[in-house]
Amino acid sequence: MRRMRRVSAGPRLGVGIGWRPEIDLTVERLSDVDFVEVVAENLMAGDLPSSLRLLRGRGVPVLPHAVSLSLGGAEPLDMRRVEHLAAVAEALDAPMVSDHVCFVRAGGLDAGHLMPLPRTRDALAVLVANVRQAQRELPVPLALENVAALFDWPDAELTEGQFLAELVERTDCRLLVDVANLHANARNIGTDPAAFLATLPLERLAYVHVAGGVERDGLYHDTHAHAMPDVVLDLLGDLCARVDPPGVLLERDDDYPSDADLAAELAAIRAVLS
Amino acid sequence: MTREAVAAQQASLLQALLADGPTPAGFDADRIRVQARALLAKRGRITRNLRPDLADELGDRFGPLFAEYALGHPKRDDTRARQDADNFGAWLVSNNHLVAPRRPWWRPRR
Repeated sequence: MRRMRRVSAGPRLGVGIGWRPEIDLTVERLSDVDFVEVVAENLMAGDLPSSLRLLRGRGVPVLPHAVSLSLGGAEPLDMRRVEHLAAVAEALDAPMVSDHVCFVRAGGLDAGHLMPLPRTRDALAVLVANVRQAQRELPVPLALENVAALFDWPDAELTEGQFLAELVERTDCRLLVDVANLHANARNIGTDPAAFLATLPLERLAYVHVAGGVERDGLYHDTHAHAMPDVVLDLLGDLCARVDPPGVLLERDDDYPSDADLAAELAAIRAVLS
Repeated sequence: MTREAVAAQQASLLQALLADGPTPAGFDADRIRVQARALLAKRGRITRNLRPDLADELGDRFGPLFAEYALGHPKRDDTRARQDADNFGAWLVSNNHLVAPRRPWWRPRR
């Protein structure tokens, strides 16, 4: 009884991997990569790496993934960052772009990482206003991703699923669901994965992230530098029981394994999808 | 203004995570420490990648010295990672942890 819901949020993408300069040749060589994602901040629109031009030449979609818009940040949006993302999207002829439901800067400081938001109506209002402002500047649809947390904010008024569902309803953004981040939050801050998946408007699902991590002192660290644990594939399976995802992408950012190991992880993803 | 209230919450959280500020009310202090350590480790990894010369010269001293530098110099939102790594290099020299190299580290490499 799979495939209950058809998705209306954009193109069929297939199975992909995060393109990184350290594994550019690997990504080119892997036989079954249907699409890739690239960290937008690491690119210049006028000077794309030759590896990405090669992939584009083969017709492989390249989706810019931003990490620095700080869309949940309460300070004014830095429109130069949005304009850069827009320029990269046009240079890559990308069908969509993405960033995260998080903040990275506040009070003059830069966390250097994706910080979770307070799940309050005030914080949601800030996020919605920033997302709408960014969407006006972007040439293609914006997908937003749930982040992994090691701590939780006090005084939550909404669950993670409710927070994201309301964000989608008010901005018409697409969803990038990271099931590794979902696992992290289930482990670290008590998010209920089944309730999360049941609450999300999965017809707005753009694609899915999977990644590896490591358990340390009772907490799950979403490192993107370890093998993908089975529990993450299990959550991908749970999601697939609810919706046919348009795409699934493996993120690996450090301690790169052999080509064969990455190919095996992609094959494991395909096995869950089949 | 709700935006101002959220801005103040986020700023005090980053002070706690990046600059050894007090844990804001309602947060689990242990978790804030874990997150602070994770952020410090990430910043350190980026610095190692950008300035492998510093990592080589410092060896085992890199971790403790970077931690000392980082807590006293939380990364500003207008500082790029490369600048942050170079600032660490300058801090090491000015605090006598390293002697200034013959070829100044701030000169672009060929």
